Amino acid sequence: MDMSYATAAVPVVAKRKRSAFARHIVAYLFISPWILGFLFFTLGPLVFSLTMSFYDWPVVGERSFVGLENYRSMLFEDPQFWESLWITVKFAAIYVPFNIVMSFLLALMLHHITFASGFFRTAFYLPSVISGVALVTIWSWIYSREYGLLNFMLSFIGIDGPNWLGDPNLAIVAIIIASLWGLGGTMLILLTGLKAIPKELYEAATVSGVPGWAQMVFITLPMLGPMLLFTFITSIISAFQQLTIALLLTKGGPLGSTYFFAMYIYDNAFKYFDMGYAAAGSWVMFIIVLLLSLGVMRWSAAWVYYEGEVRQNDGEHNA
Amino acid sequence: MLNRKSIIGSLMVLAMAGTATARAEEVLRFATWDTDESLAIQQEIAKKFEEKHPGVKVQVEPYADGYDQKLIAAFGAGNPPDVMYMWNFPQYYTSLKPLDDLIAKDAAEIKPDDFPQGLMNTVRVEGKTYGMPSGFTTQVVFYNKDMFAKAGVEEPKDGWTWDDLRAKAAKFRDEPNKVYGFAVDAKPDPYDFEQFLWSNGTKYISDDGKKIDGYMNSDAAAQVLDMFGDMAKKQEAITLNLGDDTTGSTLFKGGKIAMFQSAMWSKSGIDASGIKYGVAPLPKFGDKTAHSALGVSAISIAKDAAHPDLAWEFVKFFSSPEAVAMRINDLPVRTSVAEEKGMTKDPVYKPFFDILATSNTETHAFLKNANWGKVQDNLARAIEATMIDQGNAKQHLDDAVNRSKRLMK
Repeated sequence: MDMSYATAAVPVVAKRKRSAFARHIVAYLFISPWILGFLFFTLGPLVFSLTMSFYDWPVVGERSFVGLENYRSMLFEDPQFWESLWITVKFAAIYVPFNIVMSFLLALMLHHITFASGFFRTAFYLPSVISGVALVTIWSWIYSREYGLLNFMLSFIGIDGPNWLGDPNLAIVAIIIASLWGLGGTMLILLTGLKAIPKELYEAATVSGVPGWAQMVFITLPMLGPMLLFTFITSIISAFQQLTIALLLTKGGPLGSTYFFAMYIYDNAFKYFDMGYAAAGSWVMFIIVLLLSLGVMRWSAAWVYYEGEVRQNDGEHNA
Repeated sequence: MLNRKSIIGSLMVLAMAGTATARAEEVLRFATWDTDESLAIQQEIAKKFEEKHPGVKVQVEPYADGYDQKLIAAFGAGNPPDVMYMWNFPQYYTSLKPLDDLIAKDAAEIKPDDFPQGLMNTVRVEGKTYGMPSGFTTQVVFYNKDMFAKAGVEEPKDGWTWDDLRAKAAKFRDEPNKVYGFAVDAKPDPYDFEQFLWSNGTKYISDDGKKIDGYMNSDAAAQVLDMFGDMAKKQEAITLNLGDDTTGSTLFKGGKIAMFQSAMWSKSGIDASGIKYGVAPLPKFGDKTAHSALGVSAISIAKDAAHPDLAWEFVKFFSSPEAVAMRINDLPVRTSVAEEKGMTKDPVYKPFFDILATSNTETHAFLKNANWGKVQDNLARAIEATMIDQGNAKQHLDDAVNRSKRLMK
């Protein structure tokens, strides 16, 4: 008995010490899956790809350090780089505004609808959960020149449908339309935002005789500001990363008219196995997206209003 | 004496049994891109090899569609298969084992002269041999005998020209029913397409692999492209792959085109469709010799193969008359096997072998320049642009040459 008491007594102190440490350990253990995942699958590859971009890196054979050569040759000698960048910018310039405006209109509609709102919400959201490959298969059936659904419907109103995917000018339009099909996610975010706007604001405005359009401009849009900013930035990013649809629907064609920047990177990596050059391309894309996002953030200070925030000029006005 | 002999004998048996069990550990990895029936044949060959080499297991690894990605990943990870199917020699040759010494050593068994020269050209990089041909196809024109009979058009003959083909094709045009005489592809595989340049006396790139200006964009090359564009314009042919991915093979099997230029890989599908067809050689440009692209699959050994000796034994067996004869889905790479099977006389197979004999003077562009993959994409765009414009080949080819300047250094 004595023995067991003695042995038990010693660890009490140690236990107390250990328990302080153990508490932290447990906390770290709880977040360790994320931390490990971040280190191994995000930060690690990120740093690795930066290193890679300074090398001539074929998968098979010798790799050699080339410094900034990949970047230099890409920016100054490779016409394909500028072409695919320009195609991507064009795509983003059309896709982003359409994506936001249409999502917003749909969200507004769903917000006000009283009839079968659950059904419509699901119906509009559903396309965005369909995986890229299935979506592309559906659209290739819709766009097919001879047998496509779209041209079949157009034939009812006497229009001889164009060759959607075969015409260099139309193919990018076809891809924008197909991409917009997935706007359900954006719509849902905006819808949540709309639902979060306090009703009292509208009631007060209505009582004060503020017309509907003015309520939209002075209540809805400002209150939705942070959400719009968020969707704006994520749309830009996803526009720049556009790959699946172009890769599968048009394979970058016809005549390279839908050869997006992401596809340019993809081809360098997995078609030509020029990993260093592809990594350099990824970093150029990262820097462009970063700069664009920073620009939007800066600009957003002019139009995004966060609840609880007191604007400087408002403050001056009050003073 | 007797007793001692029997002791020695039994010791030898034991020793052999010992090696046999030791070799039971040996697993030879063999990677292939084939699937279905062709894969089954290869597994059969592997089984035969195992029977001849007791204690050896051949692990057939079918990578199928993702072949290149999987193979390159295996090499990148330092864990390549011992033996593998191969076509892209410039990409891999630094990691493959040169076979020249081995072939010379076992020449009596292999009989290298039994392999046509044209095929051997496709497995060599910088003068060294990195694989043994295992199957091949040349290009031909399939034609629908019933359609020819019904339209009263004379069937193609040996030595026919593109002018002959165009004249025949024009007679099949039936716009309302979408029936045409021929199909031209807006997105052909540039690898195969070079045959038309060869047949017209030019090539994509100089033999030293350093110059494309004056080759790819030569007048002879432009003439070829413009001819196909003109065939589309005059509706002697329907254009494939312009926003519609219906294949030429589908159209031919459906009786929508009377002639279809393709290769061995279309044959089994056409057989299955049940139409009555004949096989004609590739047409000539005027009186120049027609020259076919060579689609060759080969079998190679990794430089760092785990079992190099066994790998060579397998390659030898895979190239033996017995195994070549088993691969009925490929044309036999040994002249002796082709002759024995009577294929060099059979009217369906003869054109494949005839043109193989005259297609031994040119080398495919990708074997000449390491950057060819990228240059080829610019070229593919020029071909497509010409087919969309139905002309202007020279301008598009010049453009492709300009865009490729960076890659020719």
